[in-house]
Amino acid sequence: MRRKLDFKLYVITGESYHSSRDMLEVMEAALRGGADIVQLRDKKISKRELLEKARSLRDLTSRYGVPLIINDHPDVALAVNADGVHLGQDDLPLSVARSVLGPHRLIGISTHTIEQARVAERAGADYIGVGPVYPTGTKPGRQAVTTSYVSQAAAEIQIPFVAIGGITTDNAEEVLKAGARRLCAVSAIVGSNDPEGVCRNLLEQITGWKSGSSAEIPAEEREMVVTVNGRQERTKATTMLELAEHYKLADKHIVAELDGDIVPRQSWRETPLRIGASVEFVHFVGGG
Amino acid sequence: MNTRLNDPFVIGGHTLQSRFFLGTGRFPSPAVLQQALEASGTQVITFAVRRINLDDLADDNVLQHVANRGFVYLPNTSGASNADEAVRIARLARSAGLGNWIKVEISAHHRTLLPDPIETLRATERLVKEQFIVLPYTSDDPVLCHRLEEAGAAAVMPGGAPIGTGLGILNPYNLGLIVEEARVPIIVDAGIGSAQDVVQAMELGADGILANTPIAKAQDPVFMALAMKLAVEAGRLSRRAGRIPKKRYASASSELKGRLFEFAGTEGEG
Repeated sequence: MRRKLDFKLYVITGESYHSSRDMLEVMEAALRGGADIVQLRDKKISKRELLEKARSLRDLTSRYGVPLIINDHPDVALAVNADGVHLGQDDLPLSVARSVLGPHRLIGISTHTIEQARVAERAGADYIGVGPVYPTGTKPGRQAVTTSYVSQAAAEIQIPFVAIGGITTDNAEEVLKAGARRLCAVSAIVGSNDPEGVCRNLLEQITGWKSGSSAEIPAEEREMVVTVNGRQERTKATTMLELAEHYKLADKHIVAELDGDIVPRQSWRETPLRIGASVEFVHFVGGG
Repeated sequence: MNTRLNDPFVIGGHTLQSRFFLGTGRFPSPAVLQQALEASGTQVITFAVRRINLDDLADDNVLQHVANRGFVYLPNTSGASNADEAVRIARLARSAGLGNWIKVEISAHHRTLLPDPIETLRATERLVKEQFIVLPYTSDDPVLCHRLEEAGAAAVMPGGAPIGTGLGILNPYNLGLIVEEARVPIIVDAGIGSAQDVVQAMELGADGILANTPIAKAQDPVFMALAMKLAVEAGRLSRRAGRIPKKRYASASSELKGRLFEFAGTEGEG
């Protein structure tokens, strides 16, 4: 088993944003500010140079107890004992990276549509990137996916997803409102004169959001995606009873299961549905 | 006939008059199923647990056709390919409030549908612990049948042949060994083709028969239900009556003494 991955603030290196300062110095500031996962990304340098940077960043992140992810290169990740790799849609397929890295390392996948997100989740990604939410200088020319994709991912994707692309302290709230619980920033952090302060600000917004978020959308308008009898369904139902009523099953002789546990009929009313719940409604048919 | 009266058939504390269990699948219509159930005289019926079709809410729930008739319900775990799945299906079935009998059915091969013996044993052990009355469908291996009995099965149900093949009792020798050793009822489940297979199984000492396809798919399911009911009774009575040993040569049924003529054929020695 891979260890369970969780994080809030994902920081990626971007040396072009801070040419006058040392990469390690900037990343250490981000770590002091609370970055809890770090990715090394540099598509311009030679592999040998990348390996050197990976080594030093591994030392740094180990001191802070933070996972290190290497962009694109499973061999470099293995060589420096990084925690995993991050792959784009045109990089190594996930299955190939998994066979290279073995079962224990993390694999993250960049996704730009919900279809890509589903594929990555099914293929066993440990987390996905969802973006670019806003136009970004890091990925020039890439169409922004906007916060609507963030909402889709929030409703449907079970593995951790991190919103990325043009996120700053100014628009973070909007992204969190759309359903993101993990943010990633590059230029806003490493391009700032105060990476530590920016990280702290973003982290406060993320953790602050969790406590006060649920009142934002009125209950009757909230929709979520659940799996019913193996099928993804959007529903406004908030309890098992409402879901059964939606399918006109409430008075039928059936049995209901929620996430593998049977829910007795008399408890349907009090049993809440959550995003991503898996429900089975079964009955008896002819059989031998 | 009084012969049946003194022939109790007890499973999981239930005393049954009929030794014939009927499956409810694949009948041409609910009406035919009804008539076949009646003709068979069965008291125990099987059915399967399936997802409701959310797109077509036409009520295809089999229970509406059989409710309130005093049947003992024996849901199966078909569709399970391991013990975990079978246990999950069994719990779903029980929570429908129709009793605690369960037929463990864990198929391991897509073409033969033969049961997975190891998973079947595991599921039986677990379901017995959960207070189910467990009737595992199993291959006709005497040792395995014994292990299932030890695990607490209320009855053991070896197949005569793979499900739906109608090939009859492929290994009468094994079935004979199984019933010889068993201290719980042995019910032949699967493989029956026609009434003669039923008689054979019962004569070999089976305590009961479970059939579905040979009835549902017969030209006339209602006639076949009746034929098999009679075959169960005939086979059972024949077994209890005790058959004559097979002999190599004839022995005249009519007394020889006082015959009018001397035998004209070749005499054997002595």
